Amino acid sequence: MLRLLKYLKPYWWQVLLLFAAIGLQVFTNLQLPAQMADIINGGITGENIDYIWQIGLRMLLFIVLGAGCSILSTFLSARIGAYFSRDLRADIFQKVLSFNATDLKNFSTASLINRTTNDVNQVQQTIMMMLSLMLIAPISCVISLVMAIQTAPDMSWIMAVGVVAIVTLITVVMVLVIPKFKIFQKVIDKITLLTRENLTGLKVIRAFNNEGIEKKKFESANAELTNLIIFTEKIMKLTNPLINVIFNGLTLLCTYIGISLLTQNFDYLGDMSAFTQYVTQLMISFLMLSMLFVMLPRANVSAERINEVLKTKPKIVWKDVTSGIPEKIASVEFKDVDFSYPGAKEKVLDKISFKAHAGKTTAFIGSTGSGKSTLINLVPRFYEPTSGEIVVNGIELRKYEKDDLMRRIGLVPQRGVLFSGTVASNIKFGAPNATDQQMKEAARIAQATNFIEKLPGKYNAHIAQGGSNVSGGQKQRLSIARAICKNPDIFIFDDSFSALDMKTDAKLRKALMPVVKDMVVLVVAQRISTIKEADQIIVLDAGKIVGKGRHYELLRTCKVYRGIVKSQLSDKEYAHELEEANA
Amino acid sequence: MPRPHSSSDSNKIHNAKKAWKDFLVSIKEYRVAIVIALALSVASAALGVFIPKLLGDMTNIAVNSYPEIDFGPILSKVWLVVGLFVGSAILNYIQGYILALVAAKYTKKLREQIIEKITKLPISYFDKHKYGDILSRMTNDIDVMATSLSQEITDITTNLTTLVGVLTIMLTISIELSLIAIVVVPLSVIVVGKIMNFAQKFFLDRQRMLGSLDSRIEEDYAGQAIIKTNSYEPTAIAEFGKINQDLTTLTLKAQVFSALSMPVTQIFTNLGYTAICVLGGVFVVNGRINIGNLQAFVQYVSRFNRPITEIASTMSTIQSLLASSERIFEFLREPEEEPDPEPALEINTVRGEVEFHDVCFSYDKKTPIIKNFSVKVNPGMNVAIVGPTGAGKTTLINLLMRFYDLDSGYITIDGVPIREMRRADVRKLFGMVLQDTWLFSGTVEENLRYGKQFATHDDVRAAAKASNVDHIIEALPKAYKSEISEDSDNISAGEKQLVTIARAMVANPPMMILDEATSNVDTRTEQLIQDSFEKLTHGRTSFVIAHRLSTIRNADLILVLRDGNIVEQGNHEELLKAGGFYAELYNSQFAEN
Repeated sequence: MLRLLKYLKPYWWQVLLLFAAIGLQVFTNLQLPAQMADIINGGITGENIDYIWQIGLRMLLFIVLGAGCSILSTFLSARIGAYFSRDLRADIFQKVLSFNATDLKNFSTASLINRTTNDVNQVQQTIMMMLSLMLIAPISCVISLVMAIQTAPDMSWIMAVGVVAIVTLITVVMVLVIPKFKIFQKVIDKITLLTRENLTGLKVIRAFNNEGIEKKKFESANAELTNLIIFTEKIMKLTNPLINVIFNGLTLLCTYIGISLLTQNFDYLGDMSAFTQYVTQLMISFLMLSMLFVMLPRANVSAERINEVLKTKPKIVWKDVTSGIPEKIASVEFKDVDFSYPGAKEKVLDKISFKAHAGKTTAFIGSTGSGKSTLINLVPRFYEPTSGEIVVNGIELRKYEKDDLMRRIGLVPQRGVLFSGTVASNIKFGAPNATDQQMKEAARIAQATNFIEKLPGKYNAHIAQGGSNVSGGQKQRLSIARAICKNPDIFIFDDSFSALDMKTDAKLRKALMPVVKDMVVLVVAQRISTIKEADQIIVLDAGKIVGKGRHYELLRTCKVYRGIVKSQLSDKEYAHELEEANA
Repeated sequence: MPRPHSSSDSNKIHNAKKAWKDFLVSIKEYRVAIVIALALSVASAALGVFIPKLLGDMTNIAVNSYPEIDFGPILSKVWLVVGLFVGSAILNYIQGYILALVAAKYTKKLREQIIEKITKLPISYFDKHKYGDILSRMTNDIDVMATSLSQEITDITTNLTTLVGVLTIMLTISIELSLIAIVVVPLSVIVVGKIMNFAQKFFLDRQRMLGSLDSRIEEDYAGQAIIKTNSYEPTAIAEFGKINQDLTTLTLKAQVFSALSMPVTQIFTNLGYTAICVLGGVFVVNGRINIGNLQAFVQYVSRFNRPITEIASTMSTIQSLLASSERIFEFLREPEEEPDPEPALEINTVRGEVEFHDVCFSYDKKTPIIKNFSVKVNPGMNVAIVGPTGAGKTTLINLLMRFYDLDSGYITIDGVPIREMRRADVRKLFGMVLQDTWLFSGTVEENLRYGKQFATHDDVRAAAKASNVDHIIEALPKAYKSEISEDSDNISAGEKQLVTIARAMVANPPMMILDEATSNVDTRTEQLIQDSFEKLTHGRTSFVIAHRLSTIRNADLILVLRDGNIVEQGNHEELLKAGGFYAELYNSQFAEN
């Protein structure tokens, strides 16, 4: 939490002003009981009505001053809080956009979203509370203490009694209840989990006729929760009555002691009622401070999570300008590339070397975990090789300026990623200056024309957040159109075809042929049919290249490849393929 | 290119009267406890009301007997006051505890009703409703009910009692001074209310803006790689900055206005306080009231404020209580599955003959999905269901399992119409392995035993071996005792499917329904899956949603679906020869040969 306070720095003079305003506000407010005492002691006891009116005027003055201060402080704390969270949010957002794949993997996207939204809100709320209530409490604590002692020093021990009582109460409640809250959260999570399972597993539960078992499981968690609630409430419900007892007891004590001191000094008549109000104020301040103890740990967790994001240093450093002039002809070359995740011993990629030429398709195949997806993600520098070199268009990857490299790359990710907007804004995402003609051509090649034409508004049809209003296959086709429209040097398809049915897959690849004649095409695929025609197939197994060549060549020479082909074809077809390969 | 914002609508009550009625009826069994709690809260508040007055009396006794203070009567007042506030606290505690108990038990009941309802609703309900929506009734709405029940209900009675009590005593002390309080306090409540109303508009706007900021963040983070490769960062940051700034402006407005309520109340309170001090002082000097009563009055005024503001806030809590109760009871009222027939037909030993007679079906009773479909599946036959994505292949399976009921026609198993049977008895006949590899959170073994609770460890192990998943499970840190769940990532998607196959094997049903996975399964696992699928279907009547050529070609019967209709049926050779849709499909997919 403290580390985030540096975001208050640009607003330091406002914070200072706020301090002053709140101090004055509390001070004037606490003046009123003193004035009341004056009315009693000077006015009433002295039977001086003019004096009473005079004090009344003075009180009005204090009220006006206090009101001005409190309005100012309200405005300031709202303003500082709002700007604080704005700056914080903007910084996190910018930071996350600069993350590379390793960072994203470490945090997980869902958690990053949470950190930018919920955690910032949580911290903002706490900051606002701190800037108003939490500032008032300690200031008011001190001032009321000083004023109480000034008013009736003989009675100050009552304050000590009050403070001890309230602090004891707060401590006992916190010690008893707070640990329960942790268990509480766990049981609530369990209830949520079970409900969720009942919903997501709907069909399986019914298929196995296990409704009864699920209900029993739920009932036991439900009973556990209920017992826990009853236990905590037994204690929690004590707090309010006990606080009342303390307040009433203190008031009684003040009155009684005040009365018994009257014989010494009749001024205690007015002083005791002022004193009572100071004591009450002090108790309220302590209660407010105790809220700080409840809120701060929660805000601290959020602040910690935000700090983790902000602290992360970018692992990939880009050059300001590309050093060297890239060759005109597109190419991608891997030279002895190794990759492993930071801290992991195992290599994800081991001595990868190959060259992909313009106009040729290089395909990567292998089982899950063979490293094929990681491999192609090295090209846009989502990951950085642990050793070895990657050369794009004749220049080492690390010598590129970021945008200069990125404009050469058209990436189609595994899952179609769309942004809210229109069909057109999505296709032109990487090429804002593309003409409508180019956009439509891209859509045609991506086999997307048919469904786009059917949408209301066609190219201006609305795309919802994350593309949730189009199907998986349509999303994928639009992402492919987006990459085509950009007209890159290097096309990267990261298992982009498996969301399409085989028929569309085939048509799309055919339409793509003439487009990619000057481009390097890198394809990760699951289906043999998708990559059969590739100019170069690279078979990966546990991060190593175990085969490199064309389809029939590999069928003859590569055991892993043969296994993959066999699993996807019927026995008869497999035999046929082998025959073909050996012919 | 700018992207538009989206908005969402939230808590509104549609029919307050009905919501009230539902709520009251459902909580009826606790009415005695609630009434007792309410009565106790009235008593507790009433006891508290007298305290300032008694304290004032003490001062009066002292002042009147000054300079010789008579402590006898004062001390008896002291004990009376102690008695009052201790008594009030005890009653208050009992009242609070009773309501907490009621709230805990009542929400427990509601939770049980919701989970029970989930198991009784027809599957079709879940096609139209989001899980998150149902889940939030179970969590958020119940939470709202519990808090408002245990904390807010008696606030009304406590506050009303205090209000009436305080006002009465104030009036007996001085009508003139009371008038000040009566005018000032409601005035402050009205002014604050006006300010809050004004702020409400900004709060709603802010909420909407927060929503669009959240969805922007979600979208941009999810698409981070694409933003990067398209050099879209500056635009993304600028767009985000704009929403962020708009949000900040709205937040500022909303916060300033809502936070103003505090200083405004304070100003009114202070003004009232001053007026009462000054006028009261003058009155004391004039001898119209005594000093003790003035001191008591000052205390009463501060107690007079709170109930009014609190009653206002309780009203809004009750609104949200009603909104939640409406959402919960609306869910509990949804029509349930048609009850099982009584008496129901049963099949003792199943041969596995399945027949569809003129089956018609639609999800919405409007657009027919399956029209006049008839087929006879002989015992032991392997049926492959093929067709393009979205052709409604799962519909057939949904009908077989009686997840949905037919519009017309009937389905028989061994000649017995399944509609005449208990659902549980129909479902018992089938083992089901779906693409959606649902596992509940628990150990691997518990999951495997899901279809047969009393299976021995050896049975489980044998099934796992047959499904080629034993060695995978053994490789887990705690083997069969390892915890897994739907979204656990200690085993892969393909391995999860193997577990679901083993789960079906443990249950050992007479017939099988399978859905072959298409993607996200690596090649080696896929081979294992295929191998265990074959074991699973061998000798059993089975229905397979097929993607693999080998499965299709080896099937005894292929059902070809297109746009929800069964357009062709027959075996591979027959269908190929017919040269229809199947042939076209086959040739486009496996055209290379």
